Amino acid sequence: MKILTKADVWLIIFLLLFAFVGIGLGLSRLVTSGSGTLSAQISVGGKIMQTVPLREGYRQEIEVKNGDHYNTIEINYGKIHIREADCPDQICVRSGWIGIATQQIVCLPNRVVINIVATDSDLDGIAR
Amino acid sequence: MDIRRMVLLAFFVAIASVLHVVEAWLPLPFPVPGIKLGLANVVSLLVISFYGWRAAVVVAVLRVMIGSLFGGTIFGPAFAMSMGGALVSTMVMGYTYQYHRPTISVVGISIIGAVFHNAAQIVVAALLVVSAGLLWYLPYLILFAVLSGTGTGFTVAYILAKMPHHFMAKSADIEKS
Repeated sequence: MKILTKADVWLIIFLLLFAFVGIGLGLSRLVTSGSGTLSAQISVGGKIMQTVPLREGYRQEIEVKNGDHYNTIEINYGKIHIREADCPDQICVRSGWIGIATQQIVCLPNRVVINIVATDSDLDGIAR
Repeated sequence: MDIRRMVLLAFFVAIASVLHVVEAWLPLPFPVPGIKLGLANVVSLLVISFYGWRAAVVVAVLRVMIGSLFGGTIFGPAFAMSMGGALVSTMVMGYTYQYHRPTISVVGISIIGAVFHNAAQIVVAALLVVSAGLLWYLPYLILFAVLSGTGTGFTVAYILAKMPHHFMAKSADIEKS
């Protein structure tokens, strides 16, 4: 039984191409992201609650609350991860440690987003 | 309303609701927000082919409501995402089924449905957490949707090929024959 048509095959090729180009763009953002001072923005429901520095030797543990829900965030070794959360899918916990600018961790059920941003110092800006 | 049609639609709502709940239990290997197998898309596509897109949208809405009620996620972010994904994907599949079918097979339609399901979900999610950065997950979701959509598409093609023709007939027609 032949099911797939020519149009199906083109559709699959086009979608795969689109996906791989998108993934490539995302990865290239990681490589070309600024190498200035890194910090992590922790936001809940779109509001930035806290910005923490990500540098060697800086340790912190933060508990973010959204109503009855919580996410326990740990910062260490210049990286950040969500150690524990009460969300049903645990996707945020399984995302693991991140430490490169433009990387993100998202906990949709609790509406928590962690973004890593590079803030280049002024000197770097001029030197470029 | 035809009784046979009514009963069968209720039966499809029940199957889709169960798939919706069970799907949430299955662990997926990639920690990407909004990623889903989309098993309930099988039911949406079957209903489209038997009763048209309007009936399929009704089944999809009921499925998300009942499935979320049993899954304990009703009116949460996951509910909004499922509803957005189900509505968009069912309507897009209905349109493609009606106007592009011999050219695009049910497998292609299923892939399109899966892609739009995931795309709509991640857009709703981006709105919920007010972060456009979530759209960077879209390529991963599309990649996964092509795989899962192919799987559900072949399931639908198999069911349509094996199902007796009179199964979806009106009750009056069956009494006549």
